[in-house]
Amino acid sequence: MRDGHMAVSGTALWMAAPVLVGAALLAPAMARADDKPLVIARDMDINSLDPARTWCDTCQIYVSNVYESLIGLGPDNKTLTPRLATKWESNADQTQFTFHLDPDAVFSDGSPVEAKDVKWSWERLHNIKGGPSFMMDGVKSIEAPDAHTVVVTMEAPNSEFLGILTAPYTGAINSDVAIANGANANADADKSDTSEPWFMANSAGSGPYMLADYKADDELRFKANPNYKHGKVGISEVVIKHTKDAVAQAQLLESGGADVAMQIDPDTAKTIKNDAVTIESVPSYNFVYVAISPGAKGNTVKLTKEVRQAIGYALDYNGTIDFTVGGQGKLQPAPIPNGFPGTADLPTPTQDVAQAKALLVKAGLPNGFDINAEFPNMNVYGVDLSLLMQKVQQDLAKVNIKVSLTPLEFSVWRTHVRGDGIPLTAVFYAPDYFGSAQYIQYFAMSEGTPWWKRAGGANDASITNAKEADLLKQALAAPEGEKDKFFHDIAMEMIGDRVIIPLVSPNVVLAHAKSVKGVRYSACCNLPLDEITRE
Amino acid sequence: MYRYIIRRLIAMPLLLLGIVSIAFLITHFTKGDPLISIIGERQMDNPIVIAAARARWGLDRSLPEQYLIYVGNLLSGDFGTSLRTKLGVGHDLAVRLPATLELVVAAMLLGSVVGITLGVVAARYRDRAADHLARLFALIGSSLPVFWSGLILLFIFSVRLGVLPGPGRLDARTPAPPFVTGFYTVDSLLAGDLSTLGEAMTHLILPACVLGWAVMGLISRLVRASMLDVLHQDYIVAARAKGASEPRVLVNHALRNALIPTLTIIGFTFAYLITGAVLSETIFSWPGVGSYAVDAARSLDYPAIMGVTIVGGAAFLLTNLATDIAYACVDPRIRFR
Repeated sequence: MRDGHMAVSGTALWMAAPVLVGAALLAPAMARADDKPLVIARDMDINSLDPARTWCDTCQIYVSNVYESLIGLGPDNKTLTPRLATKWESNADQTQFTFHLDPDAVFSDGSPVEAKDVKWSWERLHNIKGGPSFMMDGVKSIEAPDAHTVVVTMEAPNSEFLGILTAPYTGAINSDVAIANGANANADADKSDTSEPWFMANSAGSGPYMLADYKADDELRFKANPNYKHGKVGISEVVIKHTKDAVAQAQLLESGGADVAMQIDPDTAKTIKNDAVTIESVPSYNFVYVAISPGAKGNTVKLTKEVRQAIGYALDYNGTIDFTVGGQGKLQPAPIPNGFPGTADLPTPTQDVAQAKALLVKAGLPNGFDINAEFPNMNVYGVDLSLLMQKVQQDLAKVNIKVSLTPLEFSVWRTHVRGDGIPLTAVFYAPDYFGSAQYIQYFAMSEGTPWWKRAGGANDASITNAKEADLLKQALAAPEGEKDKFFHDIAMEMIGDRVIIPLVSPNVVLAHAKSVKGVRYSACCNLPLDEITRE
Repeated sequence: MYRYIIRRLIAMPLLLLGIVSIAFLITHFTKGDPLISIIGERQMDNPIVIAAARARWGLDRSLPEQYLIYVGNLLSGDFGTSLRTKLGVGHDLAVRLPATLELVVAAMLLGSVVGITLGVVAARYRDRAADHLARLFALIGSSLPVFWSGLILLFIFSVRLGVLPGPGRLDARTPAPPFVTGFYTVDSLLAGDLSTLGEAMTHLILPACVLGWAVMGLISRLVRASMLDVLHQDYIVAARAKGASEPRVLVNHALRNALIPTLTIIGFTFAYLITGAVLSETIFSWPGVGSYAVDAARSLDYPAIMGVTIVGGAAFLLTNLATDIAYACVDPRIRFR
């Protein structure tokens, strides 16, 4: 029967398929031939390519490699290194900074980098009022007395201004080219500047790379800047390939479709079994924390300092690191990353359930209480916030604090935390530059800081810690070598506040092809491309 | 029939306006702040920065004013600027729609051809080995989560065997062909770049198979059920009695009558996948409309949400019309009034 024969033959083929697939699983992977462009797989979270409006991790990579800043951060992520500025001075009270520009530095179109461009770029950064505009807060004036000298005067002492200038957003823009395409640095630049569409397709920097092409949610292409003052870079073309999923990034790396995978978590890293791939887990300055808001409207009890300390003692810090990142992370005592000024010799956070219970009894809550926790439903730096909060829920249950968990979209979480407040939440932070003041300005319980507002500082005077603001002023006025002790004292105060409790500082997994050299984590810039070479 | 088509086409813009208006109201009354994608978390407590961003993007205007401005721009072909990508929504969709169509057309062709074939075989050899295997294959395809099957197939064929490429429409080291249609297969052919054409086609295989496998399960079950119903009809008996060959009986007589409900499903599935293939697009890093829609929704990117709604609405309306036309082609008894 011809038809029956054909049906049986077709059936046999379907039955053979699993066998063939099974045999294929045992076959070794075939490597792809090397191609010239360097491909980096990561989730492209780009919100803009305009240096004054951009604010994201991928944006840091782009801006730092295209728009050179005056000062760089060395491989140790602490040492300030010359870039566009060959040398700099500050006055004794840290209110005036003078920068001497490299006379050989040129933009990608060959025109010289001059002081007027730096002045214009920084004024525009402030006046655009975009994501990074706060970096120019406190600047009283920027002068360009000659073509290669920039003088910045601050309204108040700021010893961290030099550190701020390592942030990629402070990079110099070719002002003539930008102005010709609708940019300006006027006071009303937030309304009058029309250059963003141009910046989305062009670049005007002096960095080692230029923008070649950008396709949103697809790829970002760099090409080497032929006029870069340090000469030819190791890789002439770089492509950041938008790959949302960590497993897909790993597969792309293993198959040779990518040379670097930037957001692989430790669990996914363990699945990579390819000798041509290098996996390295290095400490980062990122951290994930829980925040307790005494002033939130949904609180069922008053979250006094004793109650907050009880919560702090109830948490299993080491267990959280094991649970969320498989042990690939570090404890962090204060809301200032390990290794930043003032963090030496801070007391390690420890779990003490008995002490937690005793504090709750002292606070008049021997039977515990209920608390609502809302948090962004996201996986950030390898930490799944849902899993993290489940661990927190388990830990607090041991001291009879019943946590109800509500994951939210990030934009919705944002509305809640700024509105009625959230009694207990979890979120993340990454450094904008190497310096501790940024953390105090964000996390300290000083009047006006974002977390002081969210924690309900305007409604509850007991939250405010006036010492922190005073110590910060002293730290910013202190010369190099003396500010660490002020930052250390602030860190101790913030630990005592127990409003912000860091839970894990996850390591960064550097996964790349073995033939690619020079891949490293940078605190300011994520990934310096000009240091990368290929064997 | 032409009058019918023209009437449907004329009604389409009014229907789309209604859909967009409802979407506008729903998104603007949803909790959440779109500014987070514009200025980032760090500055979300700075009233100066927030005010500047709201003014720049028109978010400080009243809701009726925002609606009228949006509709007015829409009538002149301006879909607005995405709050997230900072590019024109029209431009974003013009880049993504061809990518999605390329994938969906390939998946639907594969799913429909294989699904219909499996359905016919299953019906013809009812309750025999071929029927069981065909139904099992289809069931697995429609039951497996797309993100799981996608990752597994990538692991097997790309990572382990190295016979098919990884995620993306092209290897990241290959520049895209000059834009004409946005279909990389068509554009590379038009450019005479056979190497890129081959690469684009091989990159299409895995995502099309994953998506197509999910589709073929649905189609094959429907075709099988319809065919079983039709194969018992008198005209089938008559055709066999007249000496028609079995393939002629199955295809010309039975399948043609069994296709009507299948066409409905094919049309509906096609329209759905235009904006709904987000999981496949994520796994295979395919920059399509589905992932754009999800990113827009998550960041409350109002202009992009409206744009995707228009595309999705138009897709359903046009495929419904195409399906109705196909009915008339398949069944000459159907006439339009």
